[in-house]
Parts: sequence; C-alpha cells; structure tokens
Amino acid sequence: MPASEHVQTAPALHTGLPDLSLGYVPLTDAAPLLVADAKGFFRANGLCVALTPAASWSALRDRVAFGAWDGGQMLGPMPIAAALGLGGVRADLVVTATLGRNGNTLVLGGSLAEAMGDASFPLTGSAFAAGLRRHRATGAPPPVLAVVFAYSSHNYLLRHWLAEAGVNPEQDVTLVVLAPPALPEALATGQIDGFCAGEPWGSRAVDLRVGRIMLTSGAIWPDHPEKVLALNADLAARDPARIEAATRSVIAAATWLANPENIEEAAHILHHQALPGVPEAVVAFALRGQLPLSPDADPTPVPRAIVHGTAETYPDPVHAAWFLAAMRRWGHVARGGAAPAGVWRPDIWHRVTALPAPFIDTPPTPRSLLP
Amino acid sequence: MTEPTIRVLLIDDNASRAAAVRAGLEADGCQVVGVLPNVADLVAQVRRAAADVIVCDIDNPSRDAIESMRALQSSEPRPVVMFVDQSDPAAITAAMEAGVAAYVIEGLSPRRVRAVVDVAIVRFRAHQALRAELAEARGALEDRKIIERAKGILMRARGMDEDAAFRTLRTMAMDQGQRLVEVAQGVVTVGSLLQTKRISTKK
Repeated sequence: MPASEHVQTAPALHTGLPDLSLGYVPLTDAAPLLVADAKGFFRANGLCVALTPAASWSALRDRVAFGAWDGGQMLGPMPIAAALGLGGVRADLVVTATLGRNGNTLVLGGSLAEAMGDASFPLTGSAFAAGLRRHRATGAPPPVLAVVFAYSSHNYLLRHWLAEAGVNPEQDVTLVVLAPPALPEALATGQIDGFCAGEPWGSRAVDLRVGRIMLTSGAIWPDHPEKVLALNADLAARDPARIEAATRSVIAAATWLANPENIEEAAHILHHQALPGVPEAVVAFALRGQLPLSPDADPTPVPRAIVHGTAETYPDPVHAAWFLAAMRRWGHVARGGAAPAGVWRPDIWHRVTALPAPFIDTPPTPRSLLP
Repeated sequence: MTEPTIRVLLIDDNASRAAAVRAGLEADGCQVVGVLPNVADLVAQVRRAAADVIVCDIDNPSRDAIESMRALQSSEPRPVVMFVDQSDPAAITAAMEAGVAAYVIEGLSPRRVRAVVDVAIVRFRAHQALRAELAEARGALEDRKIIERAKGILMRARGMDEDAAFRTLRTMAMDQGQRLVEVAQGVVTVGSLLQTKRISTKK
C-alpha cells in the first residue's frame, strides 16, 4: 500500500474547530454550562463550544491561564487568586456571570455524626461545637473535614461558621482538600469524618449510606454567590463578541433552569453528560429544592438548596469584595495589598441582558464574615 | 563546590510511566524520595518525604490537595506550582502538552527546577508515544479479527475457500473505494442480520 494512504491529511480549513473551549468540574452547579450546550443555547448564539470536564480545579485553572481553554466554571475566589498569582500561576480572567447561588452541603459521617446526637437540621455552630466536645471526650483526635479547594466559598464559609461557634478551624478540626467525586468514598473508608462540597456529592453520600447532611451553605449566608463563569481576559479584549455570545448563552441556560418544569430534563442532562456514576434521581434532589438528610428519611424540602436564574447570574462586584475580604481574613491575601481591579465585569452582563442590576432580596454579607 | 541533590517526589498512578520518569531523574543526578499513586494521606506523605520538588500528571486529582496545603494549615509546607517559567510560553506549552505539572516546595532555583521538569517532559512524551503505538497495534489486531470473521461468513454462506473469500473482500473494497476493514465490517453486520433471520424463521 502506498504510504500516502496511511497519512491523514489535515483539512485545509479549520471548519469544525470549536469557537470556544470551556472546562467544568462534575457538579450540579455546572448546569448552566451543560444545559447551554445540550439545549443548543451556544449554537443559537452562533458558537461551537467544546465542553470538557477537569479532574481538578488546578488543572482547569492552568488550562485557562495558559490558553489551552478559553474559560469555564470556577470557584468564586479562583479568579482573584489567579489575578494575585496565589499558588504560582498568575492569570488575568474576567467574570461575566455568576453560575449559581448556594448549593453546598456539610455532610458528617461515622463517629462524628454520632457525636452530634439528634441535633436538628440545619445544624447550628453551637450544636456542632457541643458535638465536637463529646467527640473529643471519647479520645478521638480532631476530626478531618474536607473542602474542595483552599480558595473556595466552602473553605471560607465553613471557617466562618466554625469560628463563630468558638471552634478553631486550624486546631480543633483538620481541614483537608479532596476532589468532589472522591468524597463519598473517603467518608466511607474513614479517611475523612465529614466534608463541605457542592451537590450532588452530599446527596450521593447519603444515597450510599455513608453520611448525613447536617447543613447547607445557604444556611450560613443565604443566597451566597458560588461558582462563576470565568474567561480569559486576553480573549475578552481581543474578541468581545465571542465573550458576549458565551455569556448570553449561559444566562439563557440559567433562565431555563429557573423553570421548575425543566428540572427533570436538567437532571437527565447532568447525569448523562457529567455525572454518569450518580443516579439521576440523586442529581435531581437539590435542583428540585429538597435534600435527603439521612439514609432512611424521606427527602426534606430545602427551598433554594441551589439557585439558578437570570437575576442570580449578575456578577456583582460586591461578591468579589466579599471573597477578597474572606481571603484577607484567613491570611491568603496580605491585609494591605491592593484589590485586583476589573475582574468582575457587570458591564458585559448589562450589555448582554440589557437589564439593570437586579434586586435580589439577599441578606447582606454577614458583618462578622468580614475581617 | 557541588550543589545538594534535588529530592523529587513523584505522584503517579501509572506505575510504568513513574518508573520511566524515576530512571530519567536518577540518571540526571536527582534523588527520587518516593513514588506515590493518588493516595489518601497525601499531605502527610509530602511532609514526610521532605521533597524539594513534586512532579505529577497535570490531571492528577490530588493536585488541589497539594496546592491547598499551606492555605489550609499555616504550619504546612508551601508547594508552588511551577510551569517552568511563566515568561517562557514555549516551555509552558511543552509541559502542558506532555501533561507535566511540577511543584516547588522551598526556594529551589528556577534553573534547577527547570532541569527536573525537562526530564519529566521527555519521559512523559515517550510514554505518550508508547501508548499511541499500543493503541494502534490494538486497532490493527481488531481490524484483523473483523476481516477474519468476514472471511468466515463468506466461506460459509458462499462455499468459498479462504483465498477466494479474501479476494472477494479485496475486490469489494476496491470497487467501493473503501478500506478492507470497512467492507469486512459491512459483511459482518449483514452476516449477523442474516443469522438472526435464519434463527427466527426456523422457529
């Protein structure tokens, strides 16, 4: 056979190449990205998008920082950390939409869950502190609690909640980081005693009978901002139309997700596209506004367990200020250091939606969350 | 005056790649202080190994734990992700394409880290090439199996000998401008349809 038959010639045109490549981590609040893809919102806005799961937040950040991907789902504090070069990689990103509000649960397992006795849901900080004292009295070492990344609302809200109850987050408990999909197994094997992570991983842990959902992050700060859509700032400067089309698609998906009639289909999309190992019914819980608190109980209504909607996508610079304040409080950013400017871009959101800044009846940032 | 040996910790759940990287680093005068898969008590292991550099796959799920060590517990070491040198885009691209991520624990000079990363890139690339070759070989094996099955079907259905069956497949492929395996796949598909039909009409 002539050698030429073995050679795959490159197409002359770059047709079929994605206009935009975005990354995500398998979590329920990746829904606006996955729905924008599956329901054709990207296509309707003239975009061919390659959507790829990432094995870690670090890997996602690196690919976006060095231009292998154009953007993706990120934890709110991540673009700030990138702007400041925390952890080694410095990158300019823009946040053009918030992907969701709330959505994280605190799950406890094993002897730590037992030590909480019949403390009611949502667990208060003081009830946790009392349970922790009982746990310690049995001779147990400080329990290990996992969060998903250091620069995350999980870490900051959990630390705030512990500190408010007089629990020292660096001494009375041991905080570690684990990737969300690894959490139920780590709880089952006793590697950790509890975790704070985005859905569906709390519901999944209960489904696997390895833990109890004790608290939602929304109970610490109602309607707190969570994940964001972060995009490469060079691309935003070079090709604003593409960034606007992507933002418009994701907001359309968030609006679609706010319709209760679409919840079952959304759970179906998430299960098939991103979470094949988690049963569709388990994925649906938080989207539907309910959570299975313990293995043998019926799901409990938890309105706004996770919130998607048009207004909720507003990238409010106040959120950036709060994330930065939390980063300062816990020593991740020097107190005197300047805040990175121009990361949160409400102007792009306004241009895309033609809407004024929405009014969301959210309790303001708890004063005590601030340094 | 000799510089102290660089202590490298490898985190890799792929044993053959880890062995290759280890051999490369040792040949280069580094000391590999541990090879860990994606283990549970990673942070404790990193502390115990007292490594200068951690090398892992860019998609290793443990990366978030490595990066968060100091931010969670101020007494822990501080690994800083090192994509070689951020002012050198070609080096970053090489590391990303090979899938290498490296972390520097304490102020090792950029030049010395660069040497470690370069070795890892070469070994990761060689491993990638090996995997591609294996996949190709496996593909060729699959192709041969399909062609064998197609020949068998023609031999049974048309009473041909093996040579005739092969010539028929080749002629069909040339006529249709298709690869031999594509035509063979077609024969296998049709053959299995006929098979089902025969069974159902027998009932």
